[in-house]
Amino acid sequence: MSVYVKSYRRHSRGRRWLSLALQYLCVALILAVMLFPFFWLLASSLKSPEDLEALPPVWWPAHPAFSSYRTVFEVTPFARAILNSLIVTVCSTTGILLTSIMAGYVFAKHQFRGKNTLFVGVLATMMVPQFVMLIPLYRMMAALHLDNTYPGLILPNLANGFGIFLMRQFIAGIPDELLEAARLDGASEWTLLWRVVVPLLRPAAAALVLFAFVFQWNNFLWPLSMVYSPEMSTVVLSLNGLRTYTSSVTFTNIVMAGTAIGILPSVLLTLWAQRYFIEGISLTGIKG
Amino acid sequence: MIQRQRSLIRSRSLATLGFLSPGLGLLIVFVAVPILLTAWISLHQGSMAIPYSRMRWVGFSNYATIFEQPIFRTALLNVFLYSLANLVIILPLSILLGLFLYQAQVYGRNVLRTVLFLPYMIPTVAVAIVWGYLYEPQYGPLNEILSWLHLPAQGWLGSVYEAMLSLVILNVWQTLGYYVVMVVAGLTEIPQEYYEAAALDGAGWWRRHWSITLPLLRRTLAFVFVILTINTLQVFDPVYVLTQGSPVNSTDVAAYEMYITAFNYGQAGLASAMAMVMLAIVLVLSLLQLRLFRSL
Repeated sequence: MSVYVKSYRRHSRGRRWLSLALQYLCVALILAVMLFPFFWLLASSLKSPEDLEALPPVWWPAHPAFSSYRTVFEVTPFARAILNSLIVTVCSTTGILLTSIMAGYVFAKHQFRGKNTLFVGVLATMMVPQFVMLIPLYRMMAALHLDNTYPGLILPNLANGFGIFLMRQFIAGIPDELLEAARLDGASEWTLLWRVVVPLLRPAAAALVLFAFVFQWNNFLWPLSMVYSPEMSTVVLSLNGLRTYTSSVTFTNIVMAGTAIGILPSVLLTLWAQRYFIEGISLTGIKG
Repeated sequence: MIQRQRSLIRSRSLATLGFLSPGLGLLIVFVAVPILLTAWISLHQGSMAIPYSRMRWVGFSNYATIFEQPIFRTALLNVFLYSLANLVIILPLSILLGLFLYQAQVYGRNVLRTVLFLPYMIPTVAVAIVWGYLYEPQYGPLNEILSWLHLPAQGWLGSVYEAMLSLVILNVWQTLGYYVVMVVAGLTEIPQEYYEAAALDGAGWWRRHWSITLPLLRRTLAFVFVILTINTLQVFDPVYVLTQGSPVNSTDVAAYEMYITAFNYGQAGLASAMAMVMLAIVLVLSLLQLRLFRSL
């Protein structure tokens, strides 16, 4: 095959050089466009009020000041917001992982009447916009006196159609012979799931944990509707509050410092595990 | 032996039920039931706070009301335009970038893919906050860059004619990488032999992609088309953070209108009717998607 590839690629050396230069130019341009907002975020968070008000705008402060990163914790209960976001995100991610593995296993490996209909129902929940459920969910939580509490923030997010779908896709790829062998050895379904299936699921589980974590960390609409006191605020909610209450341009550095902290978990997770994210997207995007 | 078989079957059906019920139970309580309740509320007159039993049946008059008032029609039209603009920009761009990432021999291809994908994973609220400052007409960098190119300063979010486009640009920046990844995934499923054969027959770059890539990418593109439409129809976060529908309702979108009708004006019935209209639109699109997939 490589012979063919070589035979038709008879570019002159000059043309190849030009094409490579053009490609590098494209890469540089796209990188610049994509990274510029991140650069502006970082630069603004380090600016002094004078830098922020300067005309024309200052691109990089002559004397970067990190004080805004401390101020953001002083003007709002930002540390508490980080803790709240962590509690909500970790709990719902754990929940999604457990419910998705169990249901995904059944959908992949068990036979029962109405299975396909049920699975289509699960898939359908993925398509429903969040705001369609908003009013009844809000009323439900208020009636149970769970509004403005951790359970209120966590409960609606413990199961997820996408998670069940993802797990089913991966578990379907595990050979039946493996499960039958374990069954012959007398393993119950419970031990089968946790001893045989789950250890094989590591890449899929990692992908799901990352997706669920990022989704919860970034979630805005539900906390916005549910939370009414600053102590229960999540990070994303606090960022919106910061922006709303600091209309003056001289406070931009504080808002930007908060934003930089707020996106850090998502950024780090993405950089660390972009392979899994992209696999997950490819999987849901194409197969299925 | 038979007894063992029987206990195995029993343990399996018990497991079916036991493993399925937590996930499905939660989805029923927190997704299915709320949808039905939204449908029920949409046929009643009621504020956010009064109990279901005291809501008054009004039939379809909530639906009539939201379509009589120009504000929801404006919001629907705006969100359609928003989706359309995103589609027109993202669809060709994601194909081009997808091809580029898939084929490019250049160093840094993986870095590029990660950087493109990164904005998709950070909170939309954070993206909106940063872009709000980028768009700032006086102190922001975008107008400064325009002035280098000797272009006039723009009003961005403050301008009736540009506010929606500014939101579209924000969304393109944030989500393009996601669709590029889908296109790359679709490209990996096209057998390389086709290209080699076409190249042997003397087909150029343009011809190869027009006759091979695009037809074989149909499924992926149909998928991108539908996901993109469904996602953009739900736009809420940047509108809430940046514009609140202003200036002069030019960025008022359906989800935002529904939210303030429910939580600022407390009109649960009207807001539920709006939610149901949006759900119907999304459902119709999803069914179209299924049809598309079957025919492709």
